[in-house]
Amino acid sequence: METFYHKITVVFLVLIAFVPAWGQEERELGSVSRTYAITNVTIIQSPGRQVDGGTLVIKDGLIKSVGKNIAVPPEAIIIKGDSLFVYAGFIDGLSRVGVVKPREEIREKIKDPGNPPPDRAGISPYVDVRNFLNTADKNIEELRAIGFTTAHVVPYGGMLPGQSAIISLAGKSADDMVLVPVSSLYSELTPNERVYPVTVIGVMAKWRELYRQAVQAKSYEAVYASNRSGLEPPATNRILVSFNPVIDKRIPVLFKAEKFLDIQRVLALQSDLGFSLLAGDIKEGWDATTKLKASGTKVFLSLDLPEDKKKDDKKSEEKKDTITVEKDQLEKRKDEFMAKHVGQAFAYQQAGISFGFATLSVKTRDIQPNLRRMIKAGLTEDQALAALTINSAQLLGLSDRLGSLDPGKIANVIISERPYFHEKSKVKYVFVEGVPYKLDSKDSKKEESKIQLEGDWSLTATTPQGKSESTLNITKTEGKYKGKLSGNQLTETAEVNEIKLEGRKLNFSCLINVQGQQMKITIDATVEGDFFKGTVQVEGADSFPVEGKKVPKLNR
Amino acid sequence: MRRLTYISSLLFMVMGSIAYAQSPKAKQGTYVLTNATIETITQGVIQNGAVVITNGKIAAVGTTVAVPAGAETIDCKGLWIYPGMIDAATKVGLSEIESDPRTKDFNEVGDVIPQMKALTAINPNSAHIAVTRVSGVTTVLTNPDGDIIPGTAALINLHGYTPDQMFAGFEGIVLNFPKAGRKGVADKRTDDEIKKEYDKKIEKLNDTWEKAVQYHKLDSATKSNGLAYYPEMKALLPVVRGQMALLVRADAAKDILAALKWVGDRKVKRVIFTGVAEGWRVADELVKANIPVIAGPILALPSREYDHYDKAYANPGLMKKAGVKVAIGTYEDRGNVRNLPYHAGFAAAYGMGREEALKAITIVPAEIFGVQDALGSIEVGKNATLFVSDGDPLEPKTTIRYVFINGWNIPLVSRQTELYDEFLNREPGAGGR
Amino acid sequence: MNMKKLSIALLLISVMYPAVAQNILIKNGTVLTVTKGVLVNTDVLVKDGKISQLGKNITAPTGYRILDASGKFVMPGIIDAHSHEGIDAINEWSTPVTAEVFVGDALNPFQISLYRALAGGVTTIHTMHGSANAIGGQCETIKLRYGVKDPKELIMNGAPRTIKFALGENPTRVHGGGNAIVPRTRMGVEFVMRESFSKAKEYSAAWDTYTKNKTQKGFRGTPPEYNYRLETLAEVLKGNILIHCHSYRADEIYMMLNVCKDFGIKKIVFQHVNEGFKVAPELAAFGAMASVFSDWWAYKFEVYYSTAYNAAILTRNGVTTSINSDDPELMRHLYHEASKTQKYGGLKDEEALALITINPAKQLGIEDRVGSIEVGKEADISIFSAHPLSIYAVPLITIVDGVVRFDREKDPDDMRIYVDPRAEIDMADFTEGHDHDRCMQGAEDMFDTLFRTN
Repeated sequence: METFYHKITVVFLVLIAFVPAWGQEERELGSVSRTYAITNVTIIQSPGRQVDGGTLVIKDGLIKSVGKNIAVPPEAIIIKGDSLFVYAGFIDGLSRVGVVKPREEIREKIKDPGNPPPDRAGISPYVDVRNFLNTADKNIEELRAIGFTTAHVVPYGGMLPGQSAIISLAGKSADDMVLVPVSSLYSELTPNERVYPVTVIGVMAKWRELYRQAVQAKSYEAVYASNRSGLEPPATNRILVSFNPVIDKRIPVLFKAEKFLDIQRVLALQSDLGFSLLAGDIKEGWDATTKLKASGTKVFLSLDLPEDKKKDDKKSEEKKDTITVEKDQLEKRKDEFMAKHVGQAFAYQQAGISFGFATLSVKTRDIQPNLRRMIKAGLTEDQALAALTINSAQLLGLSDRLGSLDPGKIANVIISERPYFHEKSKVKYVFVEGVPYKLDSKDSKKEESKIQLEGDWSLTATTPQGKSESTLNITKTEGKYKGKLSGNQLTETAEVNEIKLEGRKLNFSCLINVQGQQMKITIDATVEGDFFKGTVQVEGADSFPVEGKKVPKLNR
Repeated sequence: MRRLTYISSLLFMVMGSIAYAQSPKAKQGTYVLTNATIETITQGVIQNGAVVITNGKIAAVGTTVAVPAGAETIDCKGLWIYPGMIDAATKVGLSEIESDPRTKDFNEVGDVIPQMKALTAINPNSAHIAVTRVSGVTTVLTNPDGDIIPGTAALINLHGYTPDQMFAGFEGIVLNFPKAGRKGVADKRTDDEIKKEYDKKIEKLNDTWEKAVQYHKLDSATKSNGLAYYPEMKALLPVVRGQMALLVRADAAKDILAALKWVGDRKVKRVIFTGVAEGWRVADELVKANIPVIAGPILALPSREYDHYDKAYANPGLMKKAGVKVAIGTYEDRGNVRNLPYHAGFAAAYGMGREEALKAITIVPAEIFGVQDALGSIEVGKNATLFVSDGDPLEPKTTIRYVFINGWNIPLVSRQTELYDEFLNREPGAGGR
Repeated sequence: MNMKKLSIALLLISVMYPAVAQNILIKNGTVLTVTKGVLVNTDVLVKDGKISQLGKNITAPTGYRILDASGKFVMPGIIDAHSHEGIDAINEWSTPVTAEVFVGDALNPFQISLYRALAGGVTTIHTMHGSANAIGGQCETIKLRYGVKDPKELIMNGAPRTIKFALGENPTRVHGGGNAIVPRTRMGVEFVMRESFSKAKEYSAAWDTYTKNKTQKGFRGTPPEYNYRLETLAEVLKGNILIHCHSYRADEIYMMLNVCKDFGIKKIVFQHVNEGFKVAPELAAFGAMASVFSDWWAYKFEVYYSTAYNAAILTRNGVTTSINSDDPELMRHLYHEASKTQKYGGLKDEEALALITINPAKQLGIEDRVGSIEVGKEADISIFSAHPLSIYAVPLITIVDGVVRFDREKDPDDMRIYVDPRAEIDMADFTEGHDHDRCMQGAEDMFDTLFRTN
């Protein structure tokens, strides 16, 4: 690993170069010393271990000392804690933060859909996620900004996308970010579109076959290695070999299992084949606790929750006709299940299952509100914190390095205004491997009011086919932004019904018509004055970088 | 080219097969059906009665009847007589084999095409005709289907060699009222897309009606002389003038309500609602509007996952109880229109009761279609369209012994019975040649 | 959620899942045993999930729940030998032979269709792979223990393994028509069967040889590569997996009988088998069984020459015949479907009832456990308001393994086990008629466009 000094500079360079959003992060913090002391601060070393008015010293990327009456080294840069709170950095148990989605090539039709090349069939267990890490991915920064410092990341793909890695959410290169390479074999029960396997039952059958073939190949390899004479040399098969560390139980299989029945199916494979299992992004697993516990599966619950739509409680005493009565009954059942979703983490806690969290399918801006909803549903703040820190570290085999603020551990540290789970809490600094990232703590409302969205913006999306220009006209009525998107490549002007602006985060989607084809696009960007930068996501396809520039108003 | 050959040979096979569908021949004459239990539907049950059939009509009904000279007597001891059953919702004659579009004639191109007439395209030699009538279903409404207004439906008797011979005296224009909601879980459109599509269809429908009203006014003003050829409007004219019924298909509760408002606002004079799967949800509104319905299919799943499992069975009974005039249709395209009595039977078992269920497939559809003087009950002067069975026709155990359509004594033979006769004891049986 | 809402929710749950195994005495019903005649004014004693006693005036031991069946009809739970309910995946249509896939991997106990079938007196179903492939996947026999969540609890443990085969239009249109891969014709279908069995034979032989040689001292050799598909087919050849073959036309049924003879396969059940009546003597001579529709036809060309008398002709020719649904709607009134054989062919009550009870049980190899009301059999019982072959019969209570899983008197509207809190409330789904095989679910788009050029 390069020197930390080098690392810091490069990180800042990277930040400045790629992400104007956090442009005001201050460079000088990193350059003078690699020792920091956060003083007179409330330190939550781990859930239940709190030091009031303590000091935390970070040196050379590690936690040097924690506690009251700690001597501050003279070379330390001091951050006055006063009203601040310090936590261990959060660990994301399953995500694709920082992972690039490979471009979909235009693929030829497979002649025999029953025998596709393995990569077309979603079978690429030899793929290493490290080959797809992008240090400049804006998601890294967004996730870090709410306190995540470590993530278990997996490649994109089908039933066997490849090998995962545990990474730090900062680094100047892919290797630099990686904490643990090849940490698991990642899998999903995702069938293919038009080639074998096209169903979940096909995926499960293929899984069994591959695993059994791998076991067979491995044992033959051993026989052959012991005495080669007179034996056919074993085939070299990248796919089967990729199972070897799983067969040896050196690494687990990490399976995405959102729903109750996904969990059952994954457990069925596990009980047939006997591998160690990590189940990730669990969304509807409240009924599966007993079975998961019995199987010794490690779990990461999804931070995604169904949107809590505020119902306009019409308390009208108007006549209750059959349809209204029926609707009320059904709303009750929906509420019942909303409660199960929100209460899932608490149910796991009650069942005595140690769990972590996964951000795979949650929007970053929903993470904190969702955590608060889970807490409201019964999870204690300490339990939530444990899931984000010490439990995850343990589940991923990292408790000697991460998960709590103890001397000798990696200095992944969050500093927040107000306790983290407080509604108005804000993360002020995040240290990743001892490198500080100062975060913007200005009142977002103020910024919002400063930003003038109304007017014409010229948009430039960078696609593989080249740059695509369009104009977005934004208007504001009754405090709501609306827009019209037009451009040469658009067959008709697209209406943007709602443009959301939260802080400096801009988000909107609309249906566009390109040569008679309707598609939905979603733009997420960060506004900086008369400029924004972000991505445009084409539904069911790729996302591309997009930039917007305010077109100056002509004075007439 | 090869495909073409395949298709034409397939068509050949289909046509070839129906050449014998109507043999042996039906016979018209003067008949006296004696010693029967007669369920007249409208005049109660007559024990040990007789029905006299002359010139295609019911000449007499009762315990003592005058027997015309030369009449053929059929002793119906232990048997029952019923009016022919009417399935008010089918595609018989317009649809032969589901998976083969070339055997289907109910779906013409276009979203508003009232001028497309089912009656002209009905195949009198469809294999389904004989299969259906031998079960006592003598009369069916045959519907075009497709987009908003797919054409004009026709009531036909299941015997005859030309449309005119088969026509049973009612035509109506089909309106598939636009669906406001998702069609089901498989419907992957976004809410916006659904709304857009719905609004577009409603707009088209409104525009159509407006034009039809305009056409009617100008047609009246010009005494049918001054207007250019406009087949769609011409076809709608009798509906605007209340001379022809509009058959409005609506199933979901909110579509039924929207359709009620639509016909109410426009004061459409003759309206029949069809399908009405969720009619039970809005039965009171249907009663208020005084609109009759053709409910079905009854042997169906509830329309929503959370509905009580028997809702499709119970729907006709619940509507009837609320005061709606309810006929029952199978909504089978072709092959199992013969199951009409079983749709009625399930409605009977799940709340409607036998008597009302039986009416819902005889006199009620006849009234709804305005052919109650000819069909739907055993009464003097009505068409001799009736059947004789060995029991309650709603019971599957019951077999049909005679079928008369307009006085024609129909042989109880269909391709299905012929296959039975040939293969029950196959010759040669098992073993080599 | 506030406390009031919570208590309502809890109440709902307790109403919905009363499913505790109980000892039951069904009093004074007309018991249609199917195998031992009709017993009037007879009691059925259910203990520990089994039928423990049949007779008049049985006194219930203490703690037994008593169900008064006076004036009612008690019959064995209905068995559907052909269904696709309770599973999330039906057709692995990507290739003509997929013996390795198993629908039991995709069981879904939450499907409302299972409850609706239960409310139609059904207690056991054979949930099957689809018919897109000449050799499809393995099927699962499940009991309608609606209310359980763990998919494993649906399985009828110990029921023989089965596999779906398919002849005719479906496989030829998907593979030959859709992908220009054999089979495009019925000739091709036969070839696929023979080729697959031949390869499976080779595969087992290679393993047998390897296993034998391996025991010899100083053996050096390479094992054949594990192949899940051939492994499964070898089990079919050994008779450990029973074939259920989707078929329509007489010629293809006859072909399949010959294939079975040539490969030493002794047991086969033909599914749908609309033209089975034409080769009924041959089916009977082979001992093949038939699972048919009561009257469904003309949904495609290969079923245009069908007859509703099929079940009767097969029965009269000595073929063990059942009536199945292949459809979540038909499935709820199989008793009614069976009754149609009285109209079409005049089957006696007991023969008609056998079509949906003991005969499908035989076809699934579970006739020793279910399919009739006999002492020692599993307590799968349906109670009807009238004789189940009457149109006016309403199923009132359905018992599975001694557990009352459906009771019309205590039956809330909304029986969903899982509810999506995001679901639209006002969403209706309308089914009309039966436009295509449910068998083809998931593979409809793969049909060739031969008939869909306009």
